Amino acid sequence: MSDVRLALFELFAELGRAPAPEEVAERAGISAPEVRDAYEALHDGHVIVLHPETRDLWMAHPFSAVPTAYRTHIGEREWFANCIWDALGICALLDGDGTVHTECADCGEPLSLAVRGGEVHGEGVAHFLVPAAHFWDDIGFT
Amino acid sequence: MLLFRSEEHLERWLGRHGHERGAVMSLVQIWGLAQAWYADKLTPGWRRHTPDEAEAVFESLGLTGDFWRLR
Repeated sequence: MSDVRLALFELFAELGRAPAPEEVAERAGISAPEVRDAYEALHDGHVIVLHPETRDLWMAHPFSAVPTAYRTHIGEREWFANCIWDALGICALLDGDGTVHTECADCGEPLSLAVRGGEVHGEGVAHFLVPAAHFWDDIGFT
Repeated sequence: MLLFRSEEHLERWLGRHGHERGAVMSLVQIWGLAQAWYADKLTPGWRRHTPDEAEAVFESLGLTGDFWRLR
């Protein structure tokens, strides 16, 4: 299962998108059905999040497998993130200078944050509505 | 976790949606949290933080109080 986790995250980082189960299977040296079984275990362990109906990959924090309002650019690559924590988390994960593009949750005006040399630059405040102990009660809402 | 242009915009959004104010973080704090949470996630031995470890991360960033308590 840890091999599947690592293959998934490596491929997500390399590709700038969610890898297909077949791609993860090839990297991990197992079959696609075995990858899907491992995904269920990782979902149960709060390592990834699967879509409640399709069981397709939804979140592999900090990456989002679906389009969101949070995009992180590093070099020529771009990823969707689940929230502002995760958008900056992609820069932390890849240890690179990057730019986060999003919008003010109130007025919708574009906001950009830059990570340069290990420091963040820009304007804004982050707000957490859900207390830490309840982050996983409804992770999509959190 | 949402980003707002300013405290004023956050307050307006809270009022419009009828939400209680949760936890507000500066960009430096949220960047620190992002680093503490994700910097090692591409390493083979990665595992989730235990509640004790997670609370220690929160505390190191000045995130204290009931909002950040996990147990």
